[in-house]
Amino acid sequence: MKQVDRRRLLKLLGAGGLALAARPALAQTAAQAEEALPSFTGPKANPYWNGVHPYTVYPQKLPLLRMTDRPIQLETPRHYFRTVFTPNEAFYVRYHLDEIPNEIDLSKWRLKLEGNFERPVELSLEELIRRFKPVSIAAVNQCSGNSRSRFQPRVTGGQWGNGAMGNALWTGVRLKDLLDYAGVKPGTVQIQFEGLERGKGPENLGSGRFLKSLDLNDPVIGETILAYLMNGEPLPMLNGFPLRLVVPGKFATYWLKHVTWIRALTEEDKNFWMASAYRIPDTPNGSTTPEDVAAGRVKTVPIGKVNMPVRSFIIDPDGSYPLIAGLPAKIRGIAFSGYGRVVRVEVSTDGGQTWRRATLGADYGPYSFRTYEFTWRPERPGTYVLAVRATDEKGNVQPDSGVWNPGGYLWNKIERQEVVVLAAK
Amino acid sequence: MKKRWLIPVGLGLLGFVLAEVPGVVEGNYAQGPLGLILQPAPAKPGEGTVYRVGAYPLYTSELADGEGKELVMSYCAICHSVTYITMQPPLADWKPTVTKMLKTYGGEKFIPPDVAEKILAYLQAHYTPETRKE
Repeated sequence: MKQVDRRRLLKLLGAGGLALAARPALAQTAAQAEEALPSFTGPKANPYWNGVHPYTVYPQKLPLLRMTDRPIQLETPRHYFRTVFTPNEAFYVRYHLDEIPNEIDLSKWRLKLEGNFERPVELSLEELIRRFKPVSIAAVNQCSGNSRSRFQPRVTGGQWGNGAMGNALWTGVRLKDLLDYAGVKPGTVQIQFEGLERGKGPENLGSGRFLKSLDLNDPVIGETILAYLMNGEPLPMLNGFPLRLVVPGKFATYWLKHVTWIRALTEEDKNFWMASAYRIPDTPNGSTTPEDVAAGRVKTVPIGKVNMPVRSFIIDPDGSYPLIAGLPAKIRGIAFSGYGRVVRVEVSTDGGQTWRRATLGADYGPYSFRTYEFTWRPERPGTYVLAVRATDEKGNVQPDSGVWNPGGYLWNKIERQEVVVLAAK
Repeated sequence: MKKRWLIPVGLGLLGFVLAEVPGVVEGNYAQGPLGLILQPAPAKPGEGTVYRVGAYPLYTSELADGEGKELVMSYCAICHSVTYITMQPPLADWKPTVTKMLKTYGGEKFIPPDVAEKILAYLQAHYTPETRKE
């Protein structure tokens, strides 16, 4: 075997981009613990990257973390975020109601545009594919309650870790093209969406139907698409087959699955999912206090009034294995913002006291994940706290403080990861 | 390097052994959760236009034993599995949550007031920071 100069090799490995230095995205490198994780966390904050849910299997999915089984809510394990696009079979799942489709007959399924349109229409999936120009956009789908288990004091709701998010290349029909096709009549104020999700509760309550609406004058209407492809393939059933709404930059509560009705409304949508649920305090970062809520001092707005705050995550190293002093360690992960491109990611190896710029990966547009990489060569053994901080093109920087609101929304505090460095002698 | 052919492989089953090199521990095994994750089932073909994924599996968590458990399992599970209860952090006061289920989500349509009280008592007895064990 040809001798390779050790220094040169280490330099190459440190430079990144070497295939042999990359880990497969679909490998679970975290050790299988000999003792199971606790089955719940609290009243303190959840200390783990993911929520403490068991791995389970579902149709069209790799083993994912089961938060709840009826309605279905599945969290994506950390290691699937090594790649800029999240695999369909690892993409998280979040339903509100338990009656969701097991089968759909495409000869009978139609997308219905009804309400205040010039000509209400029904379109088959084939017509959507053939009659309208397909467009593609890379966009992050993130649950409003992603990382809710970090809240202090804890709040009720889905106790997600960081895995209620995913990035995909979505392909489908522009909402604008559909609206023009049916002709939005004057007097329309909102466009309402409804899918196939139903529940056992009364029809007029949130437990019976799930509906969301967007303001017709919201600029996001121009960017919204109805996607029938996700990363180039038909949507998994649990991610909204055959058609789902993609609302770039907005939280996923608006990204309806199995979209079947699009309604032009002449009055503001007052259904539970707009008027009562998914509301955030009307404060600068959506933060408030339990005391102000109890005193009824908090004015709220639908979470659609804001975009997703800037966030970044440490994917490697994950703390499950030690690093070796004197050898390079790659600190890698993803960052995104609902307000536009991530322009800077900084890494700290001293818990956030000093920061150094990381190298950014390819740019897939303003709404996509962006990967980052930073090569760190720890010289001394010990315990270190890594931290990562992103800045977007609008100048938004991640804060080092947590938010608090009763819904458990908008978490974007700087993430940290403790790692152990071993001496090599 | 000296080859030590004579060390029987079976030693690993008796617990780990101390190896020749100080500080090296070898042959330590622990039982893994075999069979908990199954291979994917083959797809069942639809009728030409039917997209079908089959039944969704239930992985419902166990509730703590105690008075009212059966009521929780039958009434709460009308709309959602009881996994929703075990998934929450321990709550000091379950009353707002129970009220939300009854009023906001219309659970009172299915759940009589006396049953609702027993459900609340069960949750307080097993799922607060002081009372939660598992």
